[in-house]
Amino acid sequence: MHISEGVLSAPVLVAGAALAAGGVAVGLKKMDHEKIPQVAVLSSAFFVASLIHVPVGPSNVHLIINGINGLLLGWLCFPAMLVALGLQAILFQFGGVTVLGVNTVIMALPGVTCYYLFGGLVRHERRLISGVSAFLCGSLAVFLSGILVALSLVFTQESFFSAAMLILVAHLPVMIIEGIITLFCIAFLKRVKPELFGGIHGKPA
Amino acid sequence: MENRHDVQRLPFVLLIASLLIALSNPPALAHKVTIFAWVEGNTVYTESKFMGGNKVRNAQILVFDGEGAQLLAGTTDERGEFSFKVPKLADLTVVLNVGMGHRAEWTITESEIREAAGTSEGKPALKPWQQQAAGLNREEIKELIEDSLDRKLRPIMRMMAESRSRGPSVTEIVGGIGYIFGLMGLALYFRNRIKEKQKDNRDD
Repeated sequence: MHISEGVLSAPVLVAGAALAAGGVAVGLKKMDHEKIPQVAVLSSAFFVASLIHVPVGPSNVHLIINGINGLLLGWLCFPAMLVALGLQAILFQFGGVTVLGVNTVIMALPGVTCYYLFGGLVRHERRLISGVSAFLCGSLAVFLSGILVALSLVFTQESFFSAAMLILVAHLPVMIIEGIITLFCIAFLKRVKPELFGGIHGKPA
Repeated sequence: MENRHDVQRLPFVLLIASLLIALSNPPALAHKVTIFAWVEGNTVYTESKFMGGNKVRNAQILVFDGEGAQLLAGTTDERGEFSFKVPKLADLTVVLNVGMGHRAEWTITESEIREAAGTSEGKPALKPWQQQAAGLNREEIKELIEDSLDRKLRPIMRMMAESRSRGPSVTEIVGGIGYIFGLMGLALYFRNRIKEKQKDNRDD
């Protein structure tokens, strides 16, 4: 879901960069001492996740894990993704330096959204509720990223609905896989480290 | 204190698991696309690939000149290839547009086209008088060599195109992760200094 260099028009690039800068500023402000290593680890996880490929029919797609990132980091996922995407652009030539802002927003904004939507729900006592919301968190983050990609392409030649349909259909399997991965990750983390979820929601870790 | 360390250590599980999967599964195709174009005679050949080597089928190809005017458009075939006659003697930019925000381009310079055209075009058939005692003249020998070089180099051009579409190497992956942890160290260092300064101020 990385948008390549030279696709988007200047206003979209500038708007994306401005939004990303805002998000990163909020993230950095919220980043306290104890969170720094966690941000680094999740940033690295995101950095390598896009190398994990899921073959789907004739094409194949890669993992994104912005749902887990958002859930565990909240606003901190903005700086985490900025760093990871920047390195992906430099080292792997995924995306590019000029589209860094747009790509950061595409990945991090759904993460933050999921944090607010599901951050409380995944902590629910009942296994079913927390499991379902973890699954939804993983897939919704990918879904929202797809919508954001389509939105940023509107201002170029592609029409929103055809682009959105194309992206969402291509990422349907990723949405399901991400949902399952998020489900297991959250279940695992909840069992071994319940404080991880208390910590991000105000309670001291 | 101990508790806090555990919290920090935990996401490592996630990282190590994904790293293991990433390394055991050699990079297939991400959504990065590459296009490679070269000239032979008066034809431009292009090859389009996803990272990892899968061909880009039925994707749009646009050709622009140096001023950005569109010269022609086409679609890649089943093998991800597309070729066209040189439309104009100018710098040509071949743009591959896969949709969903994926795009790649390759530029062929005017001199490349000129050279390629010079070698295999307008080559007069050998006239009987040229085949006399002296054999071939200098120009003709040069042409013949360049011609066969073109043919011999074609597979190498292809190899180059293939290597361009290969995925990230382990070095780059590990390097990137190292970079992130380096940044983490920096961030911790500065936070620590701020903390210590505050502490000093309080002590004073």
